[in-house]
Amino acid sequence: MRPIIRRMARMAALSVLLGAGGTTAGWAQESQVGSITGHTDAGKKLYRRYCIGCHGPSGDGAGENAPWIDPKPRDFTLAVFKCRSTPSGALPTDEDLFNAITRGFVTTYMPQWRPLTAQNRTDLIAYIKTFSPKWRSGKPGTPIAIPAEPAPTAESILRGRQLFQRMECWKCHGPAGHGDGPSAATLTDNKDLPIRPYDFSTGTRFMCGATNQDLYRIFMTGLDGSPMPSFADQLKPAEAWDLVHFLRTLQPIETREAAIWRDWLNTHARELKPIGPGGGGR
Amino acid sequence: MVRRFLKAAAPLAMLVCAAMAPNPGGSTVAATYTAAYATYTHRIPSFARKYNLPCSACHTAWPELNAFGQAFRDNGYQMMNDRDSPIWQNPSYIPVTFRVTPNWHREGATKQPVDPTPGVPSCVSATGVGCVPRTLMQSGFDLSGMDLWTAGTIYKNISFVLLPSADANASFHFEAAFVRFDNLADNRWVNLKVGKFELDNLISEKRFLFLSGNGGVYQSYHFLPAGDANDFGLGDNQIGAELSGHSQNSYTRYGVALLSTSSGNPGLVSSNAYDTYLTFSHAIDAGKLGVERLGVYAYLGRRPTYFQTTDSGAAIPGTGTGNKPFYRVGLSGDFFFGDFELLPLVMHASDDKYLANATPSNGTLPAGAQAATWNAGFLEAHYYVSPQLVFTGRFETVRMAQQAISGTQKNLGDVDAFSGGVRWYPIMFSRAGLSWHTEISAVRMQGSVFAGSDRVWATSVFSGLDFDF
Amino acid sequence: MMLRIFAGSMLVVLVGAAGRGPFPAGTINGKVTYTGTPPKAHPIDMAKEPNCVTQHPTPVSTQDAVTGPGNSVRYVVVYIAAGDQGAPAATDTVHYDQKGCMYIPHVAAMQVHQPLAIFNDDPHSHNIHPLARINPEWNKSQPKGAPPIRTTWEQPEFIAVKCNVHPWMHGYFAVLATPHFSVTDTTGAFMLAGLPPGKYTVTAWHERFGTQSQEVTIGGAETKTVNFVLTAKPY
Repeated sequence: MRPIIRRMARMAALSVLLGAGGTTAGWAQESQVGSITGHTDAGKKLYRRYCIGCHGPSGDGAGENAPWIDPKPRDFTLAVFKCRSTPSGALPTDEDLFNAITRGFVTTYMPQWRPLTAQNRTDLIAYIKTFSPKWRSGKPGTPIAIPAEPAPTAESILRGRQLFQRMECWKCHGPAGHGDGPSAATLTDNKDLPIRPYDFSTGTRFMCGATNQDLYRIFMTGLDGSPMPSFADQLKPAEAWDLVHFLRTLQPIETREAAIWRDWLNTHARELKPIGPGGGGR
Repeated sequence: MVRRFLKAAAPLAMLVCAAMAPNPGGSTVAATYTAAYATYTHRIPSFARKYNLPCSACHTAWPELNAFGQAFRDNGYQMMNDRDSPIWQNPSYIPVTFRVTPNWHREGATKQPVDPTPGVPSCVSATGVGCVPRTLMQSGFDLSGMDLWTAGTIYKNISFVLLPSADANASFHFEAAFVRFDNLADNRWVNLKVGKFELDNLISEKRFLFLSGNGGVYQSYHFLPAGDANDFGLGDNQIGAELSGHSQNSYTRYGVALLSTSSGNPGLVSSNAYDTYLTFSHAIDAGKLGVERLGVYAYLGRRPTYFQTTDSGAAIPGTGTGNKPFYRVGLSGDFFFGDFELLPLVMHASDDKYLANATPSNGTLPAGAQAATWNAGFLEAHYYVSPQLVFTGRFETVRMAQQAISGTQKNLGDVDAFSGGVRWYPIMFSRAGLSWHTEISAVRMQGSVFAGSDRVWATSVFSGLDFDF
Repeated sequence: MMLRIFAGSMLVVLVGAAGRGPFPAGTINGKVTYTGTPPKAHPIDMAKEPNCVTQHPTPVSTQDAVTGPGNSVRYVVVYIAAGDQGAPAATDTVHYDQKGCMYIPHVAAMQVHQPLAIFNDDPHSHNIHPLARINPEWNKSQPKGAPPIRTTWEQPEFIAVKCNVHPWMHGYFAVLATPHFSVTDTTGAFMLAGLPPGKYTVTAWHERFGTQSQEVTIGGAETKTVNFVLTAKPY
């Protein structure tokens, strides 16, 4: 009972602060993905069929399975989402949520819901948006621009490596991307629950997709709610692509970038200083 | 008294079957009633426990799979996240599911050949000589068989199933046992399964929503003409190897299986024959209607007609030879109209004349012998009021196209079957499931031991608590 | 918000028209103390960030419950919770520094829409992660030498701020609807000045010791003293 009471208290507080009357249940909300319009009532039925076990009847992520899940299911009442095309702090677009449902989250229990019809997935988004008043008071942000990707080169990978050092990515993700940096063990999410940094050495896919564009988007928007910040104010687009190229050399799969990097290392490995405190240069 | 009643009750289905079999020795569709009722369908709460999803995530209404559940199964019981290998499970997790259904049921059969005075032997049931036709009826509380499912992953991309299954008296057999290598060479189109498994039927008889004695089986999947020596049933699990694959959302699927000719029974029957099963299906996203799927299938089999013998003609097991062909081909569909689902199936079937007449291929066929062919089909409908309440209905028909001996009454053995039911799932969580299942079924068969013009009715009323955990 | 500001200025005009002239400003001051047992301040281990260890020859202590002589409590936000006539957002920028792996000040109070600038004075990277619930929650990286992050908050809220890289870094943004607020100093003292005559609810908020309110009426150019005694819990 306790989480429910806590939630009610929170909702009451929100209502007072925002002057918002009523409950979340009656809000008419729609979603739009491409030419498909999603509807709350259809979404509610689907939510109860597919989602309720983890995300809970009131969307607060406290479903019956939540105690056994790590990382915990998303709390839709906060309207904070990791995978977005929009800047940190902005609401995601309906397409972002659609892609998240479709793709699932590779390091969590959230499966890929590809077999559901596109209409079903769009309906679910309409319903998910009824759980937070933020969807009524605010609009989704504008997706960040992603300029065309330059071809990966050894120089680009090297610059990316220096950024990995300079932006201190290694403090969480570890000098070799193993998710074992000095701060890794103490990371917590926005609910003060422990969370692990992504381990590049075991992942064939990233949290928000598998392509270079997806990777670019991850660190230029941040994964809101998690410790992963946005680097949008710190990295120029060209630098962001450099970082993408370097990160793709850390994966356990054969990538274009890994092949280029291997060739370069064959002759230049000695020139590199290890990444970490005070290091990282050539 | 109770013991005697139970003993007497057991052969009822056999009597029904005998009613359809003017030629002794042949198996018929009715012979599978008790077997299908005792062996069980597939849905596995241990997966729900492992992946923390409610039953309704994978099942339209358990045990029937929805599109998401189909993809999960096609992926080798994997979500395709980084959580599929058992190393991610709490060590106390055990991938075991039990299922059993305590129930009340009532079975009836008309025109059964019985002794005119019980206890005074005179009736030969196979021929009807010395018999009178009577309607037999039995009802009471009963037990189903039990399934003991263990299934899951041995490692990422290596899946397994081991399913010891018991009849109501706890006599066990292995209903399924296989290892599957998933996504070979990182390719979802290449999966290899070896062992005993369900055929890749688009409309599964192992995961359907009927349980009663006469409704808990697809007539189309098991029908055999009177006097046929074949023992094959499309609904029965077979032993072999299957290569299969699917698109990322499993909307497009195929399967190619090479199977022993043993009809799923352990122990080799013959030395030089294999069956083949080919399936393909494709689904489309029909927007608000749902997922619409259409499939084709073809089972090309052979069965031995005689054995090597020794010691005064005793058959030597495993030496089956004189293999003769049979096939089952057809189309099946799975169409959604919102909460309404239609499952149509059509089949054309043929058994070689030696099989159809139960004659060794080195022997002499009876006069007028020919291949037996027939057509079968059904239309099943489900209405999902909610994930926890479903109404079901089914009409099924089998029509002989060509009898095994020319001149035989054309419609002898034809079957019409009707089923209707409701399943209510008062609880549906991610840990276990309970369903109150109620069903009425009736099967009408053309011909009794007394007359080819007779219509024999077999009926079932069933209400049970279907649970697994 | 615009509506409230407008209504507020109307009221000032009306008060003026009633013949009292430009309002005489009143002041509320006082002290915040505690009863009970506060949690002990712990020295922070910054070994994971050697830069910060060298900046603090003697280890700094946690700041979630800073108490002083006479049971005074520091970093309590005292503000007008009701009775305020409203005012346009202040235009002066509130500064929030990250220095030596600490937030300075630990609690920064500001008005809704008031400019906020977050600086990184350290020779390494921080991420600023305000755990807003009503306002948008964001999380941005700020490497060494990066320009300040300039932002505003749209809704009143007490927002916990943390740096995920340095888990000991905790702070607060107190975003308030009123221009009248004060954060208690090392002696637990606060002062709310420039209050027109009226009846006010004065609220004291502390991140661990909770919230307390009192009613105060300001009649004119007077100073009223209001003291708060918060109940401290050791955990």
